[in-house]
Parts: sequence; C-alpha cells; structure tokens
Amino acid sequence: MSVLDRTSQPRSGPIRHFDFPEVERRSLSNGLDLRVARLTRLPVVSVRLFMRSGESALGLDRSGLAMLTADALDGGTRRRSGTELAQAMEGIGARFGASGGWEGTSASLYCLADRLSEALPLLAEAVLEPSFPEDEVARAKEQHLAGLRQRNMDPGSLASDAALARYFAEGVPYARSGDGTEESIAGVTRDDLRGYAEVNYRPQGGGLIVVGDVDTAEIAEMAEGCFKDWTGSPGSVADFEVVPASTERRVLVVHRPGAVQSEIRVGHVGADRLTPDYFALSVANMALGGTFTSRLNLNLRERHGFTYGVRSRFSFRTRPGPFEISTSVGNEVTAAAVGEILAELRGIADGGPTDEEVSSARDFGAGIFGLQLETVGQIASRVSQLVVYGLAEEYYREYRDRMRGITTADAAAAARRHMRPDEAQVVVVGDADVVGPPLEKLGLGAFEMSRGQPVD
Amino acid sequence: MSLDVPIERHRLDNGLRVVLSPDRTVPVVAVNLWYGVGSRNEVPGKTGFAHLFEHMMFQGSAHVPKNRHFELIEKVGGTLNATTWFDRTNYFDNVPSHELELALWLESDRMGWMLPAMDQEKLDNQRDVVKNEKRQRYDNQPYGDWGERLQKLMYPEDHPYRHTVIGSMEDIDAATLQDVEGFFRTFYVPNNAVLTVAGDIDPEGALDAVARYFGDITSGAPIPALPGKLELEPKLGTTVRDHVVAEVPLPRLIMAFRTPPFSSDEFSVSEVCHALLGMGSASRLHRSLVRERRIAKSVMSYQFPLLTGASMFLTWATGYPRTDLAELEVALAEEIEGLRGAEQGEVDRAIALAETDFVHALEHAASRADQLSMFELYFDEPDRVNTMLDRLRAVTVDQIRSFAEEHFGPDNRAVLAYEPGAARGDE
Repeated sequence: MSVLDRTSQPRSGPIRHFDFPEVERRSLSNGLDLRVARLTRLPVVSVRLFMRSGESALGLDRSGLAMLTADALDGGTRRRSGTELAQAMEGIGARFGASGGWEGTSASLYCLADRLSEALPLLAEAVLEPSFPEDEVARAKEQHLAGLRQRNMDPGSLASDAALARYFAEGVPYARSGDGTEESIAGVTRDDLRGYAEVNYRPQGGGLIVVGDVDTAEIAEMAEGCFKDWTGSPGSVADFEVVPASTERRVLVVHRPGAVQSEIRVGHVGADRLTPDYFALSVANMALGGTFTSRLNLNLRERHGFTYGVRSRFSFRTRPGPFEISTSVGNEVTAAAVGEILAELRGIADGGPTDEEVSSARDFGAGIFGLQLETVGQIASRVSQLVVYGLAEEYYREYRDRMRGITTADAAAAARRHMRPDEAQVVVVGDADVVGPPLEKLGLGAFEMSRGQPVD
Repeated sequence: MSLDVPIERHRLDNGLRVVLSPDRTVPVVAVNLWYGVGSRNEVPGKTGFAHLFEHMMFQGSAHVPKNRHFELIEKVGGTLNATTWFDRTNYFDNVPSHELELALWLESDRMGWMLPAMDQEKLDNQRDVVKNEKRQRYDNQPYGDWGERLQKLMYPEDHPYRHTVIGSMEDIDAATLQDVEGFFRTFYVPNNAVLTVAGDIDPEGALDAVARYFGDITSGAPIPALPGKLELEPKLGTTVRDHVVAEVPLPRLIMAFRTPPFSSDEFSVSEVCHALLGMGSASRLHRSLVRERRIAKSVMSYQFPLLTGASMFLTWATGYPRTDLAELEVALAEEIEGLRGAEQGEVDRAIALAETDFVHALEHAASRADQLSMFELYFDEPDRVNTMLDRLRAVTVDQIRSFAEEHFGPDNRAVLAYEPGAARGDE
C-alpha cells in the first residue's frame, strides 16, 4: 500500500444531485389544502393536519388554551373513550399526537403505509368529534398545571420565560411562553375546551400534509371521505403588532439561591418568517452562534471554558419572534460571560461576518438542508411550513441556491438591521448574591434584581 | 413485515471491524465508530475520565488542528458528535455522500495520531467545559442526581456500574495528560473499535477508502480486563430505598429492578415488558396511573441495555403536588406486578407499536449505522438489526408472565423517592 498523505484534507467526490421531493397539491371539496409527497424508500407515512388556530390569537386571560385543548384531544371522541382511542391507534401501530403552537394546532400521525386507511379516519375522529369528558379534561388540566410548576423550577425555562417578558411589551402574546399561566389555566372548564375546538378547529387556512409510500389520488379520496363535511374558518384570529418592551439595554437578575450555574439569556425582538432578510440573517446568525464553530461557542466554550455550549437563534414567526443568545455558565464567570456575549454581538452587528465565515455558514446551511430530508417526518414538517407561513410552492427547490447566493455584504446588512447590542435585554437566573454585584459593575444599563415569586 | 438492511462485514489486518450498509436512495452517508470503552473501564479515582477523554478527541490530532474537525464537517453541511456510556463510546459524522473521505480522514487521524496534538491547555479547557456540562445537566437540575443515587442502590461498591458516566468533580480535576496518553494507548486502538459506514456508498469503493485511511494504524495490546468485581447476584435480594427531600417541583417515584444483561436471550422479554408498561398511551402505566387513577402526571419505563453482570429495568412516575409517595409506590408496583397476568391483546398492541418505532429508527442512516456498530461490537452480529423484530414477535405471554414473576417482585426492587421540600443537605 502506498503511503497516504495525511497532511491535507481529501478532495470531495462528485456531488450527487438531489431534489426536494415533488409535492402534489389538491384542494378538497371543503377547501382543505392537501399536499402529498410520495416517498417509497420505506413502507411508512407521516401525516400533519394543520389548523390555523394557535396561541397567537389568544389574550393573556386565555393563554395556554390552544395548547391545553390540543393536549386534551386524547381524551376520547363521541364514539370511543380516551383509552379506546389510544388502543385503536396503537393496536395498528400508529403514533398519534396533537399540539398547539403559536401559529396553529397540528395533529400528527405516523404509521406503516398499509395502515393509513384505518389510521386517518381515527385522526379525523379525534380532531372533528372530540367529546372532552369531564374526568379527562380534569386530568389534562392538572397535568398542564403541574407542567407549569415544573417550568417554574427549571432554571432554563425560568430564564427563557423571564426574558420573553423583557423583550416584548405587555399585551403582546409573544411576551409569555405558549403554555399560559396558572391563572389562565386554573379557570378553564370542559365547555371552554369544547367551545375552543368547535370555533377554531376549522379547515380554512389550514392544510393536510401526507408524505410517504402513498398514491396521491388514493389519499385525496381517503381525505375526502374523512373531511368532506368539515367546513368553516377558525373564529379566533391573531391581531396584534409586535412592540418591544424597551429599546434601552437593561439587565435583570432573577435570584435562585444556591444555584451552581447561571442561566443567561441575551436578546431582543427579532424578525418575521417572511422577511426578505431570511437567508442573509440565517447566515449571519450561524456565524454568531448557530454552529459549533460560531464566534460565541469558540469564545465561551473553546477559548474560555465558561460553558458546555452557547447558541443564538431567531425564532421566525408570522410576526417577529425573539432573537436570543442562550447559555449556562459557572457562577464565578457569569459577568465575564455576559461581557463576552455582548462583545461578540457588537462585533457581528457592527462589522458583519467575514468572507470565510459567510462561505462556511452558507455551505453549512445548504448542505444540512439536504441531510435533513431523510425521513418522511422531516419532509412532512418542511411541507407544513409552506402552509403555515404561506411560502411559495417552489420554495424548497430554490432553497439551496438562495442560501448559496448570500454575499458577505448581504449578511452584514442583515446583521446590522436585526442585531442590536444597544437594545439587548440581559436576563440572568442564578445566585444573585454571588453573580449580582459583578454584573451590576459591568454598567450595561438599568439594573434590576428580582428575588422571584415564591413557588408555593 | 420483514426487514432487509444490507450488511457487509470485514476486518482489517490491524483488527478494526468494518460494517458496510449501502442504501443509495438519499445522498447521505453516516460514518460511525464505536470504541469498546466506557465508564465501566474506569478505575477508582478516575471516574468520568472516559467522557473527559471523549471531549479530548475533538481537540485535534497530528494533521488536524483544534476545531478543524468541526469546521470541516459543518462546512459541508454535516453533523457530528460523540457520546459516552457505561459500556462504550461512540463517534459519528453524518455528511453528504461525496464527502465520505473527509469523514474517514478525520476519524482515522484521531484514532491513529491523536497524541501529538495534546497539551495541558487543551486539557484544562475541556476540564472546565465538562465541569460545566456536569453543572448544567446534573447539579443545577431538579432530580439531576437520580442516576447517581440509583446506581448506588443497584450495584455494589466494587462493581463498575456503581459510578456515573459524568464522574465526580474531584476525579475530573485530578485528570492528567499522562492519563490521556495511557487511556489512548490502551483503549483507542483499532482492535477495540467498530467502524460502520451506512448510506449512499458503493461498498467496494468504501472498503477501499476505509483500508486506505485506517489500514496503517498500529494495532494495540489486548484490552485489559474490567476493574472491580463483575459477578452480581441475579436479584437485589430485598427492596432497597433512598428517600430524598429536595427542591423539586413534583414528587417522583423511581422504581428499578435488576434484570438479565443485554446479551441474555431474556432481554427481548424485558423489552416487551417495557413496551407493555410504558410505550404509548394505551400502555399499562399510562392507562392506570395517569388516566384512570390520576395519581401521576407522567410515567415512563426504560431498560438499560447493559452488558456487565446485570442490566437495569427502570420505571418512574411523577406525581402531582397532592400525590402521596407511598400511594404512588403501591400503585406503580401493582401495575408492574400485574404483568403476571399479561394478555395477548396488549402484547399485540405493544409489538405493533414497537414495529413502527423500529422502522422509524431505520429511516436515518445515522441510527442504522449506530445500531449496526452496537450489534457488531457487543455481539459480533450486526444482522440483529434484521432479526430484532422477529425476536420481539417471538416473545410469548407465558414468558412475560414468568419474567414478571421472577424479576419484578419486592425481593428485587430499588425505590428512589423525591419529595418536594427544602433540601436537607446530605452532602
């Protein structure tokens, strides 16, 4: 065997062409937007039923209701109890779930393709004919409240929730977590859930996405059978402007006595999903904190050893969601870490990423896109984004070219527009007695300490 | 439905076992390495070292500077990581298939030429990173010490599963560069590893590339015997307990049992028991504790696929603020013991769901590769990927009933209870 030259990296092989699968679009007789992609690799199928009724359309007093209603869908239908519904689904090996989010509610199904004709009617039954029995509603509610209690004692969730209220003005739904509050959930009744589903689980503006080893004509017929009598539009409609809580930089320390680490969040109002800056901003964010070799991670983890990891991300929603840097660090380095985070944020906002960073980031973005199209679930979730955000049908076919087309100037301009270190809100959940004084000394802006609400 | 994952097995002259599994439908390839070393190989005073060492494997090698591995894989749109576990450590790179050689070059360079790149600064840096990982994932988390407490209940003083994978702060602090060198020379040798390449490959070309990159790595000495006393009584002999008052949001009861090791034929029986108890919302624990009796917010069951002496079968129930832990324990035990009366109908449901989950796992080249490496390293039998479902289907109701009779009684039980309250500070 000849001696291998290990000093330089191997040359790439020939690239194999690979396209996003063809998505066929049909409209059912009730107006439901059906999208089907055929993938025959394994005999499985993934289904998403999206309804445009989510937490964005709820005021603070009803917050969490979309999530809770979706969670309670496993409580049974007019035809079968919750246990019978679960047995019917699982007996044919089908995984069923429903969840409420900001933009809407999704019911999902994953099963072997030859079981779909049995499983899809069950999904339809669960969503269109829920009975919300009293005891199942009580269970779902108590589970939800216990979940809120867990969030309140989890330092990471505590930090994220506290930070949202510092980014968004009071009254903006995004100023809270999607789970609602103890007050908004405690008063919910069975009639509230029934009413919510009745008014909001409607086909208009939603979609049915089916990906897997299936035939479009057969699916259309099957779906028509399941959904033809289902009509109307969701009654609750999101109607708000995103307003920041402050455009001044501020620091909040939430006391967690005896904490051995500080949870840090630094952020502000970000951008919406349809912003023309989407690709440029994604590239800029990858350079800042979106990859392992980003500036933040190389600085805080690999240079300083402050943390196990740090990341930054934009939550792109129909309206501008949060832009946030998050990490957890040792007590003694908390102030130093916040200083480094803000320095890196300023660096990228003022100077933009370098040519090399931009080239790496867009190659990563374009490359990983293809890597994440292996499973029917991954593809179904991509297709449902088209429906949720109203993206063009050709969006994924152009995705990689658009990512690769981003220049250093594009990324710098997007960073300048959407990353604003002077408006950043800093939130630290940790032992305030230890980390408070050094943080205050940084002099970053208005400084506040919260001793927190007692949990009980 | 039967599975037919194509499998080719090879062994290089230096002892490296190679598994190839082509699937050309998506242009993705998974490069996956399992080294036969984990926390069970750690000697007293060196707990957490296998995991710290895993971090050091990302600090560069003779021809690859620090961070370059990440940079190069991310630049081609790939993903990479590694995990450390009781019995093994795995490393994986998932890349577009035209970058197969890049991943092979990076993995072979650190398998063969890691030591020239090591220095004290890198060790000190990763020591800090790992200590922060421990704080973030364990010390600063409600219930974060459950694994440590449970392992102490389940395994005796001198057994290698007595300590956690993350180890102790003191031992992590005490690690030296000499330890890194010794560990590398002892365990990170081709004769202690399995390399699986799964996905969009031509097997012949892939094998040729593997041989080119890995063929000239020197073989090591045979792997030393595991430290400690490995033999275990098949049962705990009694119910052992740990009651913790801690700042946790909700009461939680963890109930665990000593069960036959992964290598045992009985393991597929306990796998089905797990599915009956905790898989899906028609499962026993969910139906009874969560839905009907409403004394638990959530439940789960899990079984550790462990090799040495005995495995661990685990269930837990998280209560509501009003839930009484003693009542929760009785209810949990009742449901588990209830498997003595398991019925065919529920077994059919469990198998149907397990089938779906199993096919789902095969959708990813990365998880196919991971399973192939596991079965090759542990059992010299990667084809278990194709026969595993049949093994589950072959489990009978009678086997489940007698398994429950044998293993789930009060003479083989560890009970770890978390009660919300002000921590008593027992350390």
